Amino acid sequence: MNSEKVLFAFFIVLALTLNFGFFVGSFDLPEHHNAYSLFAAIVVSLIATILKFGDRTHIGAVFLATSLVADLQLIAAAIVWGMVEQVFDDVLSGGSLASVVSLSGGALVANFTSVILLVAETITVRR
Amino acid sequence: MPNLIYIILRRLRSPLIFLILVYAISMTGFVLIPGVDNQGQIHYMSFFEAFYFVSFMGTTIGFGEIPYTFVAAQRYWTLLSLYATVIAWLYAIGSILGAFQDPAFRQQLKRNAFSRAVLRIREPFYLVCGYGDTGTQLVRSLAKEGILSVIIDYDQNRINELEITDFIVQPLWLCADASHSEVLESAGIKHPWCTGIISLANNDTVNLTVAIIAHLLNPNVRLISRAETPEAEANILSFGANEVINPFDIFASYLALALHSPSLSTLFDWMTAAPGDPIKEPVFPNHGMWIICGFGKFGEALYRHLRAAGEDLQIIDADKNKRNMPLGTVIGRATEANTLKEANIESAVGLIAGTENDADNLSILMTANELKSDIFRVARQNEEHNHPVFRAADVDLLMQRGRVVSNKIFALIRTPLLGDFLRIIARFNDRRASILVSRVIGVVERDTLELWEVRILPNKAPALYRMLKDQEILVEDLLRDPVNREKMISAVPLFLKRGKRNVILPEENRILYQGDRILMCGTLSARRHMNNISYNINALSYVVTGEYIPDGYIWRWIKERRKAKTNKSSD
Repeated sequence: MNSEKVLFAFFIVLALTLNFGFFVGSFDLPEHHNAYSLFAAIVVSLIATILKFGDRTHIGAVFLATSLVADLQLIAAAIVWGMVEQVFDDVLSGGSLASVVSLSGGALVANFTSVILLVAETITVRR
Repeated sequence: MPNLIYIILRRLRSPLIFLILVYAISMTGFVLIPGVDNQGQIHYMSFFEAFYFVSFMGTTIGFGEIPYTFVAAQRYWTLLSLYATVIAWLYAIGSILGAFQDPAFRQQLKRNAFSRAVLRIREPFYLVCGYGDTGTQLVRSLAKEGILSVIIDYDQNRINELEITDFIVQPLWLCADASHSEVLESAGIKHPWCTGIISLANNDTVNLTVAIIAHLLNPNVRLISRAETPEAEANILSFGANEVINPFDIFASYLALALHSPSLSTLFDWMTAAPGDPIKEPVFPNHGMWIICGFGKFGEALYRHLRAAGEDLQIIDADKNKRNMPLGTVIGRATEANTLKEANIESAVGLIAGTENDADNLSILMTANELKSDIFRVARQNEEHNHPVFRAADVDLLMQRGRVVSNKIFALIRTPLLGDFLRIIARFNDRRASILVSRVIGVVERDTLELWEVRILPNKAPALYRMLKDQEILVEDLLRDPVNREKMISAVPLFLKRGKRNVILPEENRILYQGDRILMCGTLSARRHMNNISYNINALSYVVTGEYIPDGYIWRWIKERRKAKTNKSSD
């Protein structure tokens, strides 16, 4: 067992599950989408990205790319949220809520790709 | 370049993760802790406000307690997270600076800069592996000729020395092991402008490796390698090397030649002198019994060549366990008078101090001088920095390994015809050689001797090549002064090569053909004149026909008109 692999797989899967936890729920109900879970998803996704820094393999490069996509989408979602609530002094609902959730949905797809890559990599390493 | 990014990214992994974790924990704390707004009501910070506050706190900018004055619980949390974020930042910045200071990183940086500089080269260059005594002299000679060299040496001290030396043409260098193929590749072994690889390592194995790599990666490139044993020489030659230089062999054959024909050896000396070296006085060793002190690689080469030249030889060596030693060898230290007496120094004509230790060699010379002052003394100098001492010892003939190799290689590089020429004249008898020497002396006198090659090819001598299409040019025409064609410049055509045919000392009325190669020797100004006429059609036309061709279309047109007019009026 390789502790580096464990840590990496842990963060990749955790990024997906947290992302999923934020994403599920109705598009028009703010109470289905918790700010804490978005925050946690961003932090975990960033850490998962950094863990792939400096990997020179091809699959490592693809991992880095998918993680960067997830980061980008999640941070965009957080920025939209912050803008609506802080700058425009509005309540998150309707269209703005839908765009936050759909952005995180895009991140979910990217995180899902990461997990598929992880599984593929694990299967190719036969012990 | 990608290597550098990977090194930095890998170094940054843990500090960045630490920084993100510290930020996340501090922000979560601020979002969870209840504060009080201006109206005294409970207010929870949003993530936006928490991120804003932690950002300016962590970077020690500190705008104050925003958005509302903090309660005690928030201040406790601020204290904790303040120190944590500052430490996280210091850690991250320290890691980045550390990565830049890292020797591996800096080496990589240098290597990248070197490969980029090599890739940008747009002129012919030589790749020199090994910057020892030989390499130093060779690179200096090449730079004087305006030839660029790219140097690889694994010894950092050598590279430091290189960095502080001034050259006319600044070479490129890298501190690395030349026996690694990727090092040779980044030094341009496959570069289209790489004219040759010169392998000068002290170690025959390294030279052999370089030869193999060069043979596999770029079989068309010219390879000149140094080797110190006949076995290594044969081995390197089998990998397609063009020339293998064995300093001991060259020197031994030179000494044998000096015994056999002093004028020929003088000629060899001149032809292979480094640029700017004055012409040396000829040496005249006598035939008879020679004592060779030290039976290493040098001693063996001397033994082979001098015995073939028919001399009596007496070997002295301190090591009685050495194999292949000839019969009658005196075992003992040649630095002691008793040993030299045992070797019968009284009846010897010459003594060769050829051990691998400079102090021993000097001591042998001193002892020999006391025993027999009129003996012909030959010394081997191993280290370049001992040269002043050897010069003061006033020996008759000095063997400097580095100089022997670098001069030979330089001569081969500068004038590829020279190798053929030297091989041919080596078979001359002393009388023919004397004629050759007197011809050369008649022209150059005490000046330093320049050697160059005239190649009648479209890119090497365009004017000559063009004019030969519709005009006959004689060897003699090349020797005319482009200022006054009645005068001759100080040059001698030594050798003419036309396809497979060789002509030594071509006659003045010999007709030149396209594709001819002529080896010339003479003074520097003669070389410049000849360069001028091989490029400049006007100068050439004056030299050959005595007529000036006007420069430019208008003058030519006017001249044509005038010619037509005079023709008409004479009709």
